[in-house]
Amino acid sequence: MAETRAELRAHEIFTTLEYGPVPESYACATAWLDTQDRCLGHYVNGKWLKPVHGDIVPWWDPISGEKLATCLQAQKEDVAAAVEAARNSFLSWSKLPGAARAQHLTRLAKMIQKHQRLLWTLESLATGRAIREVRDGDVPLAQQLLQFHAVQAYTQEEALAGWEPVGENPDPCTSPRLLRDTVCWISPLMNSLFLAGVVGLILPPKFSFLEMMWRICPALAMGCTVVALVPLASPTPLLLAQLAGELGSFPGIINVISGPASLGPALASWPGVQKVAFCGAIEEGRALRRTLAGEGAELGLALGTESLLLLTDSADVDSAVEGVVDAAWSDRSPGGLRLLVQESVWDETMKRLQVRMGRLRGGQEVDGAVDMGVKEPTAYILARNYVEEARKQGAQVFQASEMPSVSPFCPPTLITGLPPASPCAQAEVPWPLVMASAFRTAKEALAIVNGTPRGGSASVWSERLGLALELGYGLQMGTVWINAHGLRDPAVPTGGCKESGSSWHGGLDGLYEYLRPSGTPARVPFLCENLNYDTFGLAVPPALPAGPEMGPSPAPPYGLFVGGRFQAPGSRSSRPIQDSSGNLHGYVAEGGAKDVRDAVEAAHQAAPGWAGQSPGARAALLWALAAALERRVPTLASRLERQGVELKAAKAEVELSIQRLRTWGAQAQAQGHTLQVAGLRGPVLRLREPLGVLAIVCPDELPLLAFVSLLAPALAHGNTVVLVPSGTCPLLALEVCQDMATLFPAGLVNVVTGNRDHLTRCLALHQDIQALWYFGSAQGSQFVEWASAGNLKPVWVNRGCPRAWDQEAEGAGPELALRAARTKALWLPMGD
Amino acid sequence: MAAHTRGTELELSWISKVQVNQPAVLRRAQQIQARRTVKKEWQAAWLLKAVTFIDLTTLSGDDTFSNIQRLCYKAKYPIREDLLKALNMHDKGITTAAVCVYPARVCDAVKALKAAGCDIPVASVATGFPAGQTHLKTRLEEIRLAVEDGASEIDVVIDRSLVLTGQWEALYDEIRQFRKACGEAHLKTILATGELGSLTNVYKASMIAMMAGSDFIKTSTGKETVNATFPVAIVMLRAIRDFFWKTGNKVGFKPAGGIRTAKDSLAWLSLIKEELGDEWLKPELFRIGASSLLTDIERQIYHHVTGRYAAYHDLPMS
Repeated sequence: MAETRAELRAHEIFTTLEYGPVPESYACATAWLDTQDRCLGHYVNGKWLKPVHGDIVPWWDPISGEKLATCLQAQKEDVAAAVEAARNSFLSWSKLPGAARAQHLTRLAKMIQKHQRLLWTLESLATGRAIREVRDGDVPLAQQLLQFHAVQAYTQEEALAGWEPVGENPDPCTSPRLLRDTVCWISPLMNSLFLAGVVGLILPPKFSFLEMMWRICPALAMGCTVVALVPLASPTPLLLAQLAGELGSFPGIINVISGPASLGPALASWPGVQKVAFCGAIEEGRALRRTLAGEGAELGLALGTESLLLLTDSADVDSAVEGVVDAAWSDRSPGGLRLLVQESVWDETMKRLQVRMGRLRGGQEVDGAVDMGVKEPTAYILARNYVEEARKQGAQVFQASEMPSVSPFCPPTLITGLPPASPCAQAEVPWPLVMASAFRTAKEALAIVNGTPRGGSASVWSERLGLALELGYGLQMGTVWINAHGLRDPAVPTGGCKESGSSWHGGLDGLYEYLRPSGTPARVPFLCENLNYDTFGLAVPPALPAGPEMGPSPAPPYGLFVGGRFQAPGSRSSRPIQDSSGNLHGYVAEGGAKDVRDAVEAAHQAAPGWAGQSPGARAALLWALAAALERRVPTLASRLERQGVELKAAKAEVELSIQRLRTWGAQAQAQGHTLQVAGLRGPVLRLREPLGVLAIVCPDELPLLAFVSLLAPALAHGNTVVLVPSGTCPLLALEVCQDMATLFPAGLVNVVTGNRDHLTRCLALHQDIQALWYFGSAQGSQFVEWASAGNLKPVWVNRGCPRAWDQEAEGAGPELALRAARTKALWLPMGD
Repeated sequence: MAAHTRGTELELSWISKVQVNQPAVLRRAQQIQARRTVKKEWQAAWLLKAVTFIDLTTLSGDDTFSNIQRLCYKAKYPIREDLLKALNMHDKGITTAAVCVYPARVCDAVKALKAAGCDIPVASVATGFPAGQTHLKTRLEEIRLAVEDGASEIDVVIDRSLVLTGQWEALYDEIRQFRKACGEAHLKTILATGELGSLTNVYKASMIAMMAGSDFIKTSTGKETVNATFPVAIVMLRAIRDFFWKTGNKVGFKPAGGIRTAKDSLAWLSLIKEELGDEWLKPELFRIGASSLLTDIERQIYHHVTGRYAAYHDLPMS
């Protein structure tokens, strides 16, 4: 009887030629769940951890409604156990030669290869992503990632000499950072606590296990160990940890605990966690940034899921439409897409897009012939709410009709007619929505895109080389694909800027996330519990005359150096500066919020011109400044002498400062490089682009050398600078400004003097500063970290620790170069 | 047979702004093979459907009446009767779409088909196949003779030099003349895409061929080094769709050369379904030029019905 039906069906299919179900068996996934007694715990130190204390949450299959397993929620005790395991394994793992780590990673890659079917069915089942995408995309990439990073581990000692995994703690007594007779405030007792290089990884719901691979591979390769906090019902990371654990030798290098998002801050601030990699929603990232201010661990954020596609009238529209499918409707990315279409090809694009949408197939994720699987209900609700809201605001909504009506399934959706000013258009576009809007010219497109706070990834579609490169270089994004979308490779750094967070994975940049220059102290909490963020640096104590004025004639007060000239401060008051013997050395301007505002504006005006200069021109200007300073050596040295520096040492400091300018000038030439990627014909350019306006708060010590050491790399990399000089002796910086006034374009460097805490507050809270380097007190550092959550600018703080500016590694090392520019990967596929 | 699509005036503006991005098309071609698949009875039904699209072809120097006759009988009985019965498909009249031979063998084919008692059309290649490097006059005469002999479908090759040197008007005029010479016979224009140099040229040549009144555009002769590939097909299908949107005329598509396995044929069917839609999945608008493909399809059907893999001697040869 059954056979007859089948025959009848063949008869019918012959006429309709419809697609049929192509169910992939997920028996191995359920068999694996059975080995866990259908109860998912945590995998710590090579063992399953199934504590009874936690809440138990069921995991439902969204389509069948069947209960697949129960999940145990982690508690703080589990975090403690996981971090402890990771710290213990770090001791042996980080001491291994790179070659041995490489071998271990290769073995893990083989392990994944052996169990790939289990991996892809489990992942597809858990995330609702189409099995084809996981099988053909993610699993091979996971293996490539391991292999790529095995090679990186193998060459680490040679290629990354001078860097070490985050976490190693040098003996504080021999550390070169103890430059002057400053005493490190960390007690020996605390030091013993932080002998660990543990990376805490926090992953959001609906993530792919690849997000974890992108981060654990470089961490492990460089010698760190990992504790990953994954949401409930994410069995794949647990399976990966199990596969790694079953390799035997280093069970504790990957530990996975599954728990609620609220456990994130607890893991991030756990003693021993040196680095936190967070990927997830923007607001959660912001909150974590605030929570972790002063906690010690370095925070790498990768936020948001939205992507962008820019379609010009010189594009191959059909291929661009496929790009939209790749970006939004093929289960490759967890987010939605913002689509910008040139007005002249708008109608054509919309027509093709809608026809293409009609051919997409959705359904059960373990079906071999669907484009989109069924996601968990929250994603569906998010999308539905967005669509409803967009409709209310006057948008047109187009949805492909022939999609399964099984709840919760959101069909591919195209939203048009929402101008940038409508509230909906400003929110992040969720999966599986595409929000299309029109632009008229390439310049306008750049303005629209760069006018949003997002800076993740974008693709540009144009067959005109000049236009494509103009847009590719002009977009403020971490990744730009030309005539392609969503390509990935382990060798290519992927990251972002602005609110997309500024952490990197993949390539060399991904490795640096888990490294720090040798000799840098371990990151320890510098938390000041009673720091009031609302009042820190808010009020400026009044500056009173501090006479008597010495010297033949009264020293004129220096102004603020803003926009290429000295100006009087808005407060119209001055600040006395004392020399080492307590006498009045001079007066400097008392800058305030309005002066910072003006300085930032001046810097922004100068930014395009300076960024557009060739490296050669930048080098020439730095060398010109060096030459000018040479003429000023006696003046500068005598200023230093008045600050209590011996003449010989003062001269040496000036000489070294001049040398720094020359060195960075020379290095300005060496920027970026080209990558060759498997499976892609054509290059991927790794560009090093200026950050924009960089604010620098210089340390009090070494008023000239530190100032120059920070300023020179910033300028060499094409940034414009707003700078707060040393508080104890800002006069040297202002002295240098006199030369900059004649040599530099207006606004390139702006120096604001005044109360450091107050100026720091103004800079840290400024939304239009792209990065901030702070060298000052622990409280200041903590405030800067807290305040940077506003526009998520990358910050570099010294946590109250002094830095050896006169040493090559800390004063002129590659760390400065790394922080002075941001990376962009520009993909240029070729072919005809 | 559907009414002829008689083409349009030459509209060079339709091809002047064309942009085809080769790497992007290659990626799409890779995806399309991985993203759609059919199994079980769907596969069997699709394979049988594929049989009805086949232009069963023999284009060899050593063709004689006897192997043409074998070919024609295979065209009439492409799948073993008992296998069709098992699928309850024996009453569907499943034959291949046409047989395709050299002009000199058209008479043989017509005769053999008549003897077999079936009205499958005979297609003939013409116009100096496969290189097209003969005088226009002889090429036109070749068409007329083949039509006279009873060929109702003519597969012409274009002069590639006209494409490579950008002589679009000349190409249009030439195909126009082929069209005229065909009379009532269907015109399938072979673009020999392996020799056109770029995908943009493939698009332009497709457009010109359709404007000049081709009923089908065909990828290749099967004699070039590069034959029917997915990237080329995607570009041609997009041209067909654009032409349909502009004029309302549906032009057919025929990939030929290198399609040998049942799996390949399924991929081609889903390619058409994805790029053009179901209305193109009929013999009037889609053909597959192939010779050994049929055998592999029959083997797959055998396996579907019996659950066993067939030996070569289990299935009659063509």
